[in-house]
Amino acid sequence: MRRFHRWGLVVLLGVLATIVVRLRAKGGVPPTTGGWRELEGPDFR
Amino acid sequence: MTTLLLAGAGAVGVRAARQLLDTSGVDRVLVSARPSAHADEVATVLGVEVVPFGSIPDGVDAVALAVPGPAAVPLARQAVGAGIPVAAACDDRDAVTGLLALDADARARHAIVVAGCALAPGLTDVLARHAADALDRADEIHVARAGAAGEACVTALRRSRRDRPVEWSEGAAREERRLGPELVWFPDPVGARECVTVAAPVETLHDAVPTVQRAIVRAADVPAPKRRVFGSRRPRDEEWGAARVEVWGSRGGAREGVVYGVIEHPAVAAGTVLAVAAARIAGLLPEVRLRVDEPGARGLGALVEPPPFLAELARRGVKAAAFEGAPAS
Repeated sequence: MRRFHRWGLVVLLGVLATIVVRLRAKGGVPPTTGGWRELEGPDFR
Repeated sequence: MTTLLLAGAGAVGVRAARQLLDTSGVDRVLVSARPSAHADEVATVLGVEVVPFGSIPDGVDAVALAVPGPAAVPLARQAVGAGIPVAAACDDRDAVTGLLALDADARARHAIVVAGCALAPGLTDVLARHAADALDRADEIHVARAGAAGEACVTALRRSRRDRPVEWSEGAAREERRLGPELVWFPDPVGARECVTVAAPVETLHDAVPTVQRAIVRAADVPAPKRRVFGSRRPRDEEWGAARVEVWGSRGGAREGVVYGVIEHPAVAAGTVLAVAAARIAGLLPEVRLRVDEPGARGLGALVEPPPFLAELARRGVKAAAFEGAPAS
Protein backbone atom coordinates (compact mmCIF):
# COMPACT_ATOMS: atom_id res chain seq x y z
CA MET A 1 0.00 0.00 0.00
CA ARG A 2 2.87 2.33 0.93
CA ARG A 3 4.61 1.54 -2.40
CA PHE A 4 1.34 2.32 -4.24
CA HIS A 5 1.18 5.74 -2.56
CA ARG A 6 4.81 6.45 -3.48
CA TRP A 7 4.23 5.63 -7.16
CA GLY A 8 1.05 7.66 -7.11
CA LEU A 9 3.01 10.64 -5.80
CA VAL A 10 5.66 10.22 -8.52
CA VAL A 11 2.98 10.08 -11.25
CA LEU A 12 1.22 13.14 -9.79
CA LEU A 13 4.47 15.14 -9.73
CA GLY A 14 5.16 14.10 -13.33
CA VAL A 15 1.73 15.28 -14.45
CA LEU A 16 2.18 18.61 -12.65
CA ALA A 17 5.63 19.13 -14.19
CA THR A 18 4.20 18.39 -17.64
CA ILE A 19 1.40 20.93 -17.13
CA VAL A 20 3.88 23.62 -16.03
CA VAL A 21 6.15 22.95 -19.02
CA ARG A 22 3.23 23.04 -21.46
CA LEU A 23 1.91 26.29 -20.01
CA ARG A 24 5.33 27.93 -20.17
CA ALA A 25 6.15 26.94 -23.75
CA LYS A 26 2.86 26.95 -25.60
CA GLY A 27 2.72 26.94 -29.37
CA GLY A 28 5.45 28.19 -31.65
CA VAL A 29 5.86 25.52 -34.30
CA PRO A 30 9.12 26.25 -36.13
CA PRO A 31 8.67 26.97 -39.82
CA THR A 32 10.04 23.87 -41.50
CA THR A 33 9.37 24.92 -45.08
CA GLY A 34 9.87 28.23 -46.84
CA GLY A 35 11.77 31.31 -45.79
CA TRP A 36 11.84 35.09 -45.81
CA ARG A 37 11.93 36.98 -49.12
CA GLU A 38 12.65 40.70 -49.19
CA LEU A 39 9.79 42.75 -50.67
CA GLU A 40 10.82 44.31 -53.99
CA GLY A 41 9.45 46.28 -56.93
CA PRO A 42 6.50 44.06 -57.91
CA ASP A 43 5.34 43.90 -54.27
CA PHE A 44 5.05 47.69 -54.20
CA ARG A 45 2.58 47.96 -57.09
CA MET B 1 9.12 76.56 -48.03
CA THR B 2 8.37 73.52 -45.88
CA THR B 3 9.25 73.56 -42.19
CA LEU B 4 8.94 70.63 -39.82
CA LEU B 5 9.16 70.70 -36.05
CA LEU B 6 10.62 67.62 -34.42
CA ALA B 7 10.03 67.24 -30.69
CA GLY B 8 12.43 64.82 -29.03
CA ALA B 9 16.13 64.22 -29.55
CA GLY B 10 16.56 60.70 -28.20
CA ALA B 11 17.36 57.55 -30.16
CA VAL B 12 14.29 57.91 -32.41
CA GLY B 13 14.42 61.70 -32.67
CA VAL B 14 17.99 61.75 -33.97
CA ARG B 15 17.16 59.18 -36.68
CA ALA B 16 14.01 61.05 -37.61
CA ALA B 17 15.97 64.33 -37.90
CA ARG B 18 18.48 62.71 -40.27
CA GLN B 19 15.68 61.26 -42.39
CA LEU B 20 13.84 64.58 -42.54
CA LEU B 21 17.01 66.36 -43.67
CA ASP B 22 17.35 63.72 -46.42
CA THR B 23 13.79 64.34 -47.63
CA SER B 24 13.37 66.29 -50.81
CA GLY B 25 11.35 69.45 -50.21
CA VAL B 26 12.17 69.87 -46.51
CA ASP B 27 13.67 73.34 -46.16
CA ARG B 28 13.87 73.72 -42.37
CA VAL B 29 13.91 71.28 -39.48
CA LEU B 30 13.35 72.73 -36.02
CA VAL B 31 14.20 70.55 -33.02
CA SER B 32 13.00 70.85 -29.46
CA ALA B 33 13.83 68.54 -26.58
CA ARG B 34 13.82 68.33 -22.83
CA PRO B 35 16.48 68.75 -21.52
CA SER B 36 17.41 71.30 -24.16
CA ALA B 37 21.04 70.11 -24.11
CA HIS B 38 19.91 67.08 -26.17
CA ALA B 39 18.47 69.38 -28.82
CA ASP B 40 21.67 71.46 -28.79
CA GLU B 41 23.76 68.32 -29.42
CA VAL B 42 21.56 67.32 -32.36
CA ALA B 43 21.66 70.85 -33.71
CA THR B 44 25.46 70.89 -33.55
CA VAL B 45 25.82 67.56 -35.33
CA LEU B 46 23.06 67.90 -37.92
CA GLY B 47 22.88 71.65 -38.39
CA VAL B 48 19.22 72.08 -37.49
CA GLU B 49 17.63 74.91 -35.49
CA VAL B 50 16.65 74.58 -31.83
CA VAL B 51 13.40 75.97 -30.46
CA PRO B 52 12.09 75.88 -26.85
CA PHE B 53 10.35 72.62 -25.89
CA GLY B 54 6.59 73.00 -25.89
CA SER B 55 6.46 75.85 -28.38
CA ILE B 56 5.27 75.61 -31.98
CA PRO B 57 6.71 78.54 -33.97
CA ASP B 58 4.75 80.19 -36.77
CA GLY B 59 5.22 78.69 -40.21
CA VAL B 60 5.53 75.04 -39.10
CA ASP B 61 3.86 72.74 -41.66
CA ALA B 62 3.87 69.55 -39.59
CA VAL B 63 4.98 68.32 -36.19
CA ALA B 64 6.81 65.04 -35.60
CA LEU B 65 6.76 63.76 -32.03
CA ALA B 66 9.57 61.47 -30.85
CA VAL B 67 8.89 61.96 -27.16
CA PRO B 68 7.58 59.53 -24.51
CA GLY B 69 3.82 58.99 -24.43
CA PRO B 70 2.87 61.30 -21.51
CA ALA B 71 4.55 64.27 -23.26
CA ALA B 72 3.20 63.44 -26.72
CA VAL B 73 -0.51 63.94 -26.11
CA PRO B 74 -0.32 67.57 -24.81
CA LEU B 75 2.02 68.52 -27.67
CA ALA B 76 -0.29 66.88 -30.21
CA ARG B 77 -3.26 68.72 -28.70
CA GLN B 78 -1.36 71.99 -29.02
CA ALA B 79 -0.56 71.28 -32.68
CA VAL B 80 -4.17 70.33 -33.42
CA GLY B 81 -5.32 73.54 -31.73
CA ALA B 82 -3.18 75.45 -34.20
CA GLY B 83 -4.53 73.36 -37.11
CA ILE B 84 -1.12 71.75 -37.77
CA PRO B 85 -0.86 68.06 -38.73
CA VAL B 86 1.06 65.89 -36.29
CA ALA B 87 2.64 62.43 -36.36
CA ALA B 88 3.71 60.69 -33.15
CA ALA B 89 6.09 57.79 -32.69
CA CYS B 90 4.96 56.76 -29.22
CA ASP B 91 4.00 53.13 -28.72
CA ASP B 92 2.38 52.92 -25.31
CA ARG B 93 -1.31 52.19 -25.19
CA ASP B 94 -2.42 55.18 -23.10
CA ALA B 95 -0.65 57.67 -25.38
CA VAL B 96 -1.92 56.17 -28.63
CA THR B 97 -5.50 56.02 -27.40
CA GLY B 98 -5.06 59.60 -26.11
CA LEU B 99 -3.94 60.68 -29.59
CA LEU B 100 -6.85 58.87 -31.26
CA ALA B 101 -9.18 60.67 -28.84
CA LEU B 102 -8.14 63.95 -30.51
CA ASP B 103 -10.19 62.90 -33.54
CA ALA B 104 -13.09 65.32 -33.01
CA ASP B 105 -10.77 68.26 -32.34
CA ALA B 106 -8.64 67.37 -35.37
CA ARG B 107 -11.71 67.27 -37.63
CA ALA B 108 -12.91 70.60 -36.26
CA ARG B 109 -9.48 72.18 -36.87
CA HIS B 110 -8.85 70.46 -40.22
CA ALA B 111 -5.74 68.75 -38.89
CA ILE B 112 -4.45 65.20 -39.31
CA VAL B 113 -3.16 63.24 -36.31
CA VAL B 114 -1.21 60.06 -37.01
CA ALA B 115 -1.01 57.94 -33.87
CA GLY B 116 1.73 55.35 -33.59
CA CYS B 117 4.42 56.00 -36.22
CA ALA B 118 7.08 53.56 -35.05
CA LEU B 119 7.96 49.93 -35.64
CA ALA B 120 4.90 48.66 -33.73
CA PRO B 121 2.47 50.32 -33.87
CA GLY B 122 3.24 52.00 -37.18
CA LEU B 123 5.05 49.84 -39.70
CA THR B 124 3.20 46.75 -38.42
CA ASP B 125 -0.14 48.46 -39.12
CA VAL B 126 0.92 49.21 -42.70
CA LEU B 127 2.10 45.62 -43.15
CA ALA B 128 -1.21 44.35 -41.75
CA ARG B 129 -3.08 46.46 -44.32
CA HIS B 130 -0.76 45.23 -47.06
CA ALA B 131 -1.40 41.61 -46.05
CA ALA B 132 -5.15 42.21 -45.84
CA ASP B 133 -5.10 43.62 -49.38
CA ALA B 134 -3.72 40.26 -50.56
CA LEU B 135 -6.80 38.49 -49.15
CA ASP B 136 -10.47 38.74 -50.12
CA ARG B 137 -11.39 39.38 -46.48
CA ALA B 138 -9.07 39.53 -43.47
CA ASP B 139 -10.43 38.63 -40.03
CA GLU B 140 -7.50 37.87 -37.74
CA ILE B 141 -4.21 39.69 -37.09
CA HIS B 142 -1.30 38.54 -34.95
CA VAL B 143 1.49 41.05 -34.46
CA ALA B 144 4.70 40.32 -32.59
CA ARG B 145 7.65 42.57 -31.85
CA ALA B 146 11.10 42.20 -30.38
CA GLY B 147 13.48 44.94 -29.32
CA ALA B 148 13.07 48.53 -28.21
CA ALA B 149 14.30 51.85 -29.56
CA GLY B 150 15.49 53.58 -26.40
CA GLU B 151 15.02 53.68 -22.65
CA ALA B 152 11.56 55.32 -22.86
CA CYS B 153 10.53 52.58 -25.28
CA VAL B 154 11.88 49.89 -22.94
CA THR B 155 9.86 51.35 -20.07
CA ALA B 156 6.68 51.40 -22.17
CA LEU B 157 7.29 47.86 -23.44
CA ARG B 158 7.91 46.44 -19.97
CA ARG B 159 4.75 48.12 -18.73
CA SER B 160 2.75 46.65 -21.61
CA ARG B 161 4.08 43.18 -20.72
CA ARG B 162 3.14 43.70 -17.06
CA ASP B 163 -0.35 45.15 -17.60
CA ARG B 164 -3.36 43.05 -18.49
CA PRO B 165 -3.23 42.24 -22.24
CA VAL B 166 -5.63 44.03 -24.59
CA GLU B 167 -7.01 42.29 -27.66
CA TRP B 168 -9.42 43.40 -30.35
CA SER B 169 -12.38 41.02 -30.22
CA GLU B 170 -16.13 41.24 -30.76
CA GLY B 171 -15.89 44.73 -32.15
CA ALA B 172 -13.93 46.40 -29.35
CA ALA B 173 -10.61 46.49 -27.53
CA ARG B 174 -10.96 44.26 -24.47
CA GLU B 175 -8.74 43.29 -21.58
CA GLU B 176 -8.09 39.57 -21.69
CA ARG B 177 -6.43 36.89 -19.57
CA ARG B 178 -2.73 36.59 -20.34
CA LEU B 179 -1.96 33.54 -22.45
CA GLY B 180 1.18 31.53 -21.87
CA PRO B 181 4.38 32.56 -23.65
CA GLU B 182 4.63 31.57 -27.30
CA LEU B 183 7.66 31.16 -29.51
CA VAL B 184 7.50 33.58 -32.44
CA TRP B 185 9.76 33.20 -35.46
CA PHE B 186 11.19 36.51 -36.62
CA PRO B 187 13.55 36.92 -39.60
CA ASP B 188 17.22 36.22 -38.84
CA PRO B 189 19.31 37.27 -37.00
CA VAL B 190 16.61 37.71 -34.34
CA GLY B 191 15.08 34.24 -34.99
CA ALA B 192 12.82 32.60 -32.41
CA ARG B 193 11.87 34.66 -29.35
CA GLU B 194 9.44 33.87 -26.54
CA CYS B 195 6.64 36.46 -26.60
CA VAL B 196 3.63 37.19 -24.41
CA THR B 197 0.40 39.01 -25.18
CA VAL B 198 0.64 42.69 -24.19
CA ALA B 199 -1.48 45.77 -23.50
CA ALA B 200 -0.98 47.25 -26.97
CA PRO B 201 -3.01 49.88 -28.84
CA VAL B 202 -4.90 47.34 -30.97
CA GLU B 203 -7.28 50.09 -32.13
CA THR B 204 -4.76 51.10 -34.80
CA LEU B 205 -4.86 47.57 -36.24
CA HIS B 206 -8.65 47.80 -36.45
CA ASP B 207 -8.24 51.24 -38.05
CA ALA B 208 -6.02 49.66 -40.69
CA VAL B 209 -8.15 46.57 -41.28
CA PRO B 210 -11.76 47.33 -40.30
CA THR B 211 -12.95 43.78 -41.13
CA VAL B 212 -10.73 42.25 -38.43
CA GLN B 213 -12.54 40.19 -35.79
CA ARG B 214 -9.54 39.47 -33.60
CA ALA B 215 -6.22 41.26 -33.24
CA ILE B 216 -3.49 40.32 -30.78
CA VAL B 217 -0.09 41.86 -30.13
CA ARG B 218 2.74 39.92 -28.52
CA ALA B 219 6.12 41.20 -27.44
CA ALA B 220 9.40 39.67 -26.41
CA ASP B 221 11.13 40.80 -23.25
CA VAL B 222 13.90 43.34 -23.65
CA PRO B 223 17.09 42.02 -22.11
CA ALA B 224 19.91 44.29 -21.02
CA PRO B 225 22.16 45.14 -24.00
CA LYS B 226 25.03 42.71 -24.60
CA ARG B 227 28.45 43.61 -23.29
CA ARG B 228 31.33 44.36 -25.59
CA VAL B 229 34.30 42.01 -25.36
CA PHE B 230 35.85 44.19 -22.68
CA GLY B 231 33.89 46.59 -20.56
CA SER B 232 30.73 48.55 -21.17
CA ARG B 233 27.40 47.46 -22.54
CA ARG B 234 26.58 48.30 -26.13
CA PRO B 235 24.16 51.19 -26.62
CA ARG B 236 20.62 49.83 -26.83
CA ASP B 237 20.15 51.25 -30.33
CA GLU B 238 22.89 48.93 -31.65
CA GLU B 239 20.67 45.92 -30.86
CA TRP B 240 18.50 44.34 -33.56
CA GLY B 241 14.75 44.51 -33.36
CA ALA B 242 12.09 42.79 -35.41
CA ALA B 243 8.39 42.67 -36.06
CA ARG B 244 6.19 39.97 -37.52
CA VAL B 245 2.66 40.45 -38.84
CA GLU B 246 0.46 37.46 -39.59
CA VAL B 247 -2.94 38.11 -41.15
CA TRP B 248 -5.53 35.41 -41.68
CA GLY B 249 -8.64 35.50 -43.80
CA SER B 250 -10.24 34.06 -46.89
CA ARG B 251 -9.02 34.04 -50.48
CA GLY B 252 -10.85 32.25 -53.25
CA GLY B 253 -13.05 30.49 -50.71
CA ALA B 254 -10.11 29.01 -48.80
CA ARG B 255 -8.64 30.11 -45.47
CA GLU B 256 -5.17 31.56 -45.92
CA GLY B 257 -2.52 33.41 -43.98
CA VAL B 258 -0.09 36.09 -45.13
CA VAL B 259 3.04 36.76 -43.08
CA TYR B 260 5.29 39.79 -43.29
CA GLY B 261 8.32 40.58 -41.19
CA VAL B 262 10.88 43.28 -40.77
CA ILE B 263 14.25 43.37 -39.11
CA GLU B 264 16.00 46.59 -38.27
CA HIS B 265 17.44 48.54 -35.36
CA PRO B 266 14.19 49.70 -33.69
CA ALA B 267 15.31 53.34 -33.40
CA VAL B 268 16.21 53.43 -37.10
CA ALA B 269 12.89 51.87 -38.11
CA ALA B 270 10.87 54.17 -35.85
CA GLY B 271 12.78 57.30 -36.90
CA THR B 272 12.35 56.49 -40.59
CA VAL B 273 8.65 55.68 -40.27
CA LEU B 274 8.08 58.89 -38.28
CA ALA B 275 9.99 61.05 -40.76
CA VAL B 276 8.18 59.67 -43.82
CA ALA B 277 4.78 60.05 -42.12
CA ALA B 278 5.55 63.60 -40.96
CA ALA B 279 6.88 64.63 -44.37
CA ARG B 280 3.79 63.20 -46.04
CA ILE B 281 1.30 65.05 -43.85
CA ALA B 282 3.35 68.21 -44.42
CA GLY B 283 2.44 67.85 -48.10
CA LEU B 284 5.72 66.31 -49.31
CA LEU B 285 6.41 62.86 -50.84
CA PRO B 286 3.35 62.89 -53.14
CA GLU B 287 4.30 59.42 -54.40
CA VAL B 288 3.30 58.07 -50.97
CA ARG B 289 -0.42 58.03 -51.67
CA LEU B 290 -2.92 58.46 -48.85
CA ARG B 291 -5.85 56.11 -48.31
CA VAL B 292 -7.71 58.89 -46.50
CA ASP B 293 -7.01 62.57 -47.08
CA GLU B 294 -9.52 63.90 -44.55
CA PRO B 295 -8.76 65.52 -41.20
CA GLY B 296 -8.98 63.35 -38.10
CA ALA B 297 -6.91 61.08 -35.85
CA ARG B 298 -6.03 57.60 -37.07
CA GLY B 299 -3.30 55.00 -37.12
CA LEU B 300 -0.66 54.91 -39.84
CA GLY B 301 -2.17 51.80 -41.46
CA ALA B 302 -5.41 53.67 -42.08
CA LEU B 303 -3.63 56.71 -43.49
CA VAL B 304 -1.22 55.51 -46.17
CA GLU B 305 -1.40 53.17 -49.13
CA PRO B 306 0.99 50.34 -48.18
CA PRO B 307 2.89 49.74 -51.47
CA PRO B 308 4.30 53.26 -52.00
CA PHE B 309 4.90 53.73 -48.28
CA LEU B 310 6.84 50.44 -48.05
CA ALA B 311 8.73 51.35 -51.23
CA GLU B 312 9.77 54.68 -49.68
CA LEU B 313 10.94 52.92 -46.51
CA ALA B 314 12.87 50.36 -48.59
CA ARG B 315 14.54 53.21 -50.51
CA ARG B 316 15.70 54.53 -47.11
CA GLY B 317 16.97 51.11 -46.06
CA VAL B 318 14.08 49.80 -43.94
CA LYS B 319 13.04 46.68 -45.82
CA ALA B 320 10.15 44.35 -45.11
CA ALA B 321 10.08 40.69 -46.07
CA ALA B 322 7.38 38.15 -46.83
CA PHE B 323 7.42 34.66 -45.37
CA GLU B 324 6.95 32.21 -48.18
CA GLY B 325 5.98 28.80 -46.92
CA ALA B 326 3.35 27.40 -44.61
CA PRO B 327 2.58 29.80 -41.70
CA ALA B 328 2.66 27.90 -38.43
CA SER B 329 -0.90 28.40 -37.16
